[in-house]
Amino acid sequence: MNTEFIILSSVLNILIVLLLSPLFDGFTRKIRALIQSRVGPPLLQSYYDLLKLMGKEDLKSTINPLFRLSPYLSVVSIGMASLLIPITGLVPPLNFWGDIFLFIYIITVVGIAIIITASASENPFAYIGASRKMMLHLSVEPILAIALITGAINAGSFKIGDIVSWYYSNGPNVSMLLSTVCVFLSLQALIGKIPFDISEAEQEIAEGVLIELSGPKYACVKWANMSRQVLFCLVFTQIFIPWPLSENSLINVIIALIKVTAIIFISTLIESLNPRLRIDQALKYNLTLALFSLTSIFLALLGV
Amino acid sequence: MTKVKKIIENISDKIETIDENLIVYSKPSQIKDVAKLLVMQGARFVHLTANDFISQKNFIELNYFFSLIDDRINIIVKIPLEKEELSISSISEVVPAVIWAERECNDLFGVNFEGHPDPRRLVLPDDWPQGVHPLRKDFFYSSRPPESKQPPPLKKPEEGKTVIPIGPFYPALEEPAYFRLIVEGEEIVDFDYRGFYVHRGIEKLAESALNYQQIPFLAERICGICGFVHSSAYCQAVEKAANIEIPLRAKFIRSLFLELERLHSHLLWVGLAAHIVGFDTLFMQAWRIREPVMYICEIITGNRKTYGINIVGGVTIDIHEQHLKEIEKIISQIEKEVRELREIIIDDEVIQLRFKNVGILKHEDAKKYCVSGPVARASGINIDMRVNFPYAAYPILNIRVPLNKSEDVWARTIVRLEEILVSISIIKQILESIPEGPTSVKVSKIEPWKEAISYIEAPRGQLFHYVMTGPDGRPYRWSVRAPSYQNYQALSVMLKGASIADAPLIIGSIDPCFSCTERYEVIDLKTKSLNFYTVEELKKCSKAK
Repeated sequence: MNTEFIILSSVLNILIVLLLSPLFDGFTRKIRALIQSRVGPPLLQSYYDLLKLMGKEDLKSTINPLFRLSPYLSVVSIGMASLLIPITGLVPPLNFWGDIFLFIYIITVVGIAIIITASASENPFAYIGASRKMMLHLSVEPILAIALITGAINAGSFKIGDIVSWYYSNGPNVSMLLSTVCVFLSLQALIGKIPFDISEAEQEIAEGVLIELSGPKYACVKWANMSRQVLFCLVFTQIFIPWPLSENSLINVIIALIKVTAIIFISTLIESLNPRLRIDQALKYNLTLALFSLTSIFLALLGV
Repeated sequence: MTKVKKIIENISDKIETIDENLIVYSKPSQIKDVAKLLVMQGARFVHLTANDFISQKNFIELNYFFSLIDDRINIIVKIPLEKEELSISSISEVVPAVIWAERECNDLFGVNFEGHPDPRRLVLPDDWPQGVHPLRKDFFYSSRPPESKQPPPLKKPEEGKTVIPIGPFYPALEEPAYFRLIVEGEEIVDFDYRGFYVHRGIEKLAESALNYQQIPFLAERICGICGFVHSSAYCQAVEKAANIEIPLRAKFIRSLFLELERLHSHLLWVGLAAHIVGFDTLFMQAWRIREPVMYICEIITGNRKTYGINIVGGVTIDIHEQHLKEIEKIISQIEKEVRELREIIIDDEVIQLRFKNVGILKHEDAKKYCVSGPVARASGINIDMRVNFPYAAYPILNIRVPLNKSEDVWARTIVRLEEILVSISIIKQILESIPEGPTSVKVSKIEPWKEAISYIEAPRGQLFHYVMTGPDGRPYRWSVRAPSYQNYQALSVMLKGASIADAPLIIGSIDPCFSCTERYEVIDLKTKSLNFYTVEELKKCSKAK
């Protein structure tokens, strides 16, 4: 592993996850519009939205320092997490023992940052939104963690790079197949889109966690949400479906982009063809899935 | 009719029968007994309003309207209250549905109801001075009483419970209204409502500044969605009072537009219900299906809303042969699409997860609060004014009343979807059998002091208009009770025990229409022109306040 590769793939990863995410968001908006018999906004609309919000006045509804910092924290954390995903090859730019724990930790921080922002804003709707988001995170993130640990047991290593390399060369066994399916089924909840956008539910609690945000902070949280969608789709496509792969890093990037676009397309279909669930119904779904995914760990320990 | 007459005879001073109305004169002390007897006979409370006769006879007359659906009789209980002692005992124990109407009478006429469970203001704003009652005849319609500061009368939550405010401005509500959900965790334990932010005194304006033929144009602007029902109901009431028989073709045209209005109103509701649970695709598609109905209205009347059609004595427009063909084409297309829409909704399991067993209104509660329209029919009450008190062309047409007994939001959805199809079948019948002939008759002088009641089955339920003709070429009293007015009062039953996430859906499921309920108006009719304000003028207005 050379320094040149690390720099190149770091730059590419951040570019895809942070800078291309509004483009993917514009893509979902266009798809949604087509399904709903509308024309829809231009493909680059999400960039315009972010730019506009960046220039808006920043209204401070509270003096709580947590409220000021956590929106930026969420964007930075996503950027960090993107460095732990292999896009250019089988190995991510940051590759060290135990990086799956760092990864799980960082993606939790993204959610926590938004929950902190909401709780610090002293708005009843934001409180409800924060408590709903907390419950959703607690119920859905274990599924991803269990799936990663299943991979780690199979590969015998706590490095994401090793897990992907093992999966790529050995092909799926029963336990990996099970966790892949579980991650796919929890993807919508991980991204926080309908039917799982319960913490933001515009018509119920008026955007909930986002209600008190404005200007650059709102832009950051929006941006973090868009990037989170790309990040989790990449987690699914790069770690749980690592095929096909070529020798050339740039071709690998193109393959990854195509795969992510396909997954985002499926997720948009689900989003526009379903109503929102109630929090108790969503929790029931997630917990059933979590119990189901636990079996994959036992299967991995048994070696199948 | 004779049976009811005999029973009430003992506790009333005088009984009269005029057409289908049974008018019972009674004393203030007997109102509770009369109400009890009527309820025991199966009478349904409709509305309570008052008539100010202080200048002529030194009393205010209370009118309690009941109806016996099966016998097609209206019962009007008239009770005079001396000016010196404007007080009567509340009948809310016997008829819970009267609560809002009594509060409104207290606000607008200054009648005190003893033993009322919730004697707060309903209609008047919080800064309105005490003792000024706008619907009394000695109150000039454009006078502005001085503001008086009072704390808003809101329910206080018990300790340990929090208030979740929905409104006065809220993304899921199109108009201002203030719902206060008192919650424990995610469960709603109590509910409070403050509305009437857009009350504009339409009744007062009509009673003091307009004439018979101008009021239909005011009436149709009561509501932004179903305006035609109001102008039809008003015109019917005046025609009944003045004994005017309108041509059959005019009756058919009224029925046609009433059904077109129900069609687009129900499709609008399906879209909004889907939007409330975040299903925007269904929302957009429902509204796309609705759009051609608006086109038809525009082709025939010149505007998307069916404004300017009704006058006393008939309708102002005629429908041409090519319009009928156009309507038939569009209606068949809509029927096809609505059937597809219904299939999609019935087959969608996630929608059912959200809609089933939510916002339950039991059959008994629905009866108790006298709800009407799809809300009542979804609780198994077979009531439809088109069948019970047929008007316009409905006596000739064949109408099916869809019922459902599961009492929840899902039932209301299914009932509304069925009603769209029923409306389509009615429109087809109208297109087939619309007769030739004139569309209006000339109206000569209208006799004063005649009264009439008219019902319309509006998209949201039973609409009630009461007109008493007056001596100055305008009604002496015109009272409007929109269907949402009754349906709102049942909300507290539906919301108790529900979770916050379901609250917007439950509120949405009665298809609340604030402007109907509150009878508001935005156009300056005195100068008969639309006023356009510049930003500067608006700023000046807001600063002047």
